[in-house]
Amino acid sequence: MNRSLFLRELRSNATSLLIWTAIITFLTTATMALYGIFLENNVKILAMISILPEGALQFKGISDVNDLFSVLGFYSANNVIYMLVLGSIYSIVLSSNILLKEEYGRTAEFLLSWPVTRGQVFCGKLTVVIINILALNLVTTIAGYISLETCKKEPYNVDAFLIMSLYTLLLHLFFAALGLFMSVLVKKPRPITTLSVALVMVLYFIFTISNITPDLSWAGYVSPYKFIDLDVVNPAYRIDLLNILYFTGFSFLLIFSSLRIYLRKDIYL
Amino acid sequence: MSYPAIQISDLTKRYGKDRGIENINLQVDEGEIFGFIGPNGAGKSTTIRVLLNLLFPTGGSARIMGFDTVRDSKKIRARTGYIPSEANPYPDMTAREFLRYAASFYGASQAEEKIPELMDYFDLEPGRKISSLSSGNRKKLSIIQSFLHSPGLLIVDEPTTGLDPLMQSRFFDLLRSENKRGMTVFFSSHTLSDVQMLCRRVAIIREGRIVNVEAIETLRKKQLKKIRIEFNDTVPGNLASLPGLENGFNVSGKAIEFIYSGDMNSLVAALSGKDIADMTVEEPSLEEIFMHYYN
Repeated sequence: MNRSLFLRELRSNATSLLIWTAIITFLTTATMALYGIFLENNVKILAMISILPEGALQFKGISDVNDLFSVLGFYSANNVIYMLVLGSIYSIVLSSNILLKEEYGRTAEFLLSWPVTRGQVFCGKLTVVIINILALNLVTTIAGYISLETCKKEPYNVDAFLIMSLYTLLLHLFFAALGLFMSVLVKKPRPITTLSVALVMVLYFIFTISNITPDLSWAGYVSPYKFIDLDVVNPAYRIDLLNILYFTGFSFLLIFSSLRIYLRKDIYL
Repeated sequence: MSYPAIQISDLTKRYGKDRGIENINLQVDEGEIFGFIGPNGAGKSTTIRVLLNLLFPTGGSARIMGFDTVRDSKKIRARTGYIPSEANPYPDMTAREFLRYAASFYGASQAEEKIPELMDYFDLEPGRKISSLSSGNRKKLSIIQSFLHSPGLLIVDEPTTGLDPLMQSRFFDLLRSENKRGMTVFFSSHTLSDVQMLCRRVAIIREGRIVNVEAIETLRKKQLKKIRIEFNDTVPGNLASLPGLENGFNVSGKAIEFIYSGDMNSLVAALSGKDIADMTVEEPSLEEIFMHYYN
């Protein structure tokens, strides 16, 4: 890995990391601050939720409305949108641009004329992606934990919270790997931000629709969200090794394939 | 053992079914300033990008200072400088930051020490953001970064685009002095006059193929002029028989336009006493030269 390139990437992505982390942390903690009000108005809220279509609850990963009244269930329902969707968008946008921006910005003509191998460029940039995702997850998880501890009215399963946080991190790394893979397939150098965001949203909708429609439950397996267990309130909530294997296996495969392609890729400018 | 600075053998690059370059063979000797000319889209930049391993060859091979451009690209880059045709350095950096970043890849403090000296020479402000620099100043940055590590080979692609005449002259002086020190220059351009000024030999590329490799002296002897004369009266008849008139001339009303390779004194003598309203003598475009010599 090249030190100059690594530090340059770390610096140039720092602002974006700060903004995304601040937004997700704010949304998580601000929503958790409403938990007390939510409990106090439980009758009205239940009446309101009862008129919503089932899909609206499924969209937030809620299978049983009563789960919302436990602090972890309430956190999980919000975490789905903030961390699982917004965090995935951050991860895929970061990774799909990190190599490609050198091509559409035409800076690759400088970078790849200096004494650095493509392997070093790839590894330096991948390391920055991983560090940024780890930093985002670390800060938001700590913020989530503090919120849970502050807002809880009764004990909750901390292990379940940590397992869900681990799934969230693995999901982000999976989307980062997918973004890298998409970016090395691009021939005409142009940003693929819109495509990346759309892909996250489509995969999330496929997951939601597959949950609502029993006939389409098989389609959920197309989406990585299917491999995240959101039923945190269930006392039997455990790490599923197959799910872990799914995320790590696919992420490694996508990263390895991306490297192979990038090493032989024609850089069009 | 001494190797040629550049050795290209049967090099081909195709973009799908589209042409890039076809079976290029070329040798550039160590210490030479070698011209590489051709019209836009002829394949000059493609050749350079294959040499720099930005593109992978479809066929054939190329070696720089004995190193294979695909297998040994990092070794080649450590010994080579490159000035791209369009200068697009990182817009979020200042000029100084960009040059320090470039120097850091060469690992030697010597590269960083050259930054103030070269910035002074090209009259460039170090603290300005690249996004606010003019295209000429970006070009200067592009030139400076290529000289930081005192390369053994400098590959330049349309280097004078965007530079004012004073800076062009400074750049050419720098090229000559570094060449005296031993640096080889591969000078790609579509401007014949730039190539004529600097190079001893020149390769002419057209439609992806090398048409000819010639000594610059030979090209000079073939020197053509594009001449346009507008008369106040009718076009005089005696001009048609003038020696050196390439492919006759185009008449448009009272004006004629032709490519001339003959003696200027004969032309002036033939025009003597004629009622001329206006006359221009200019260098023909490369396409026009190719039309005459290589069709």
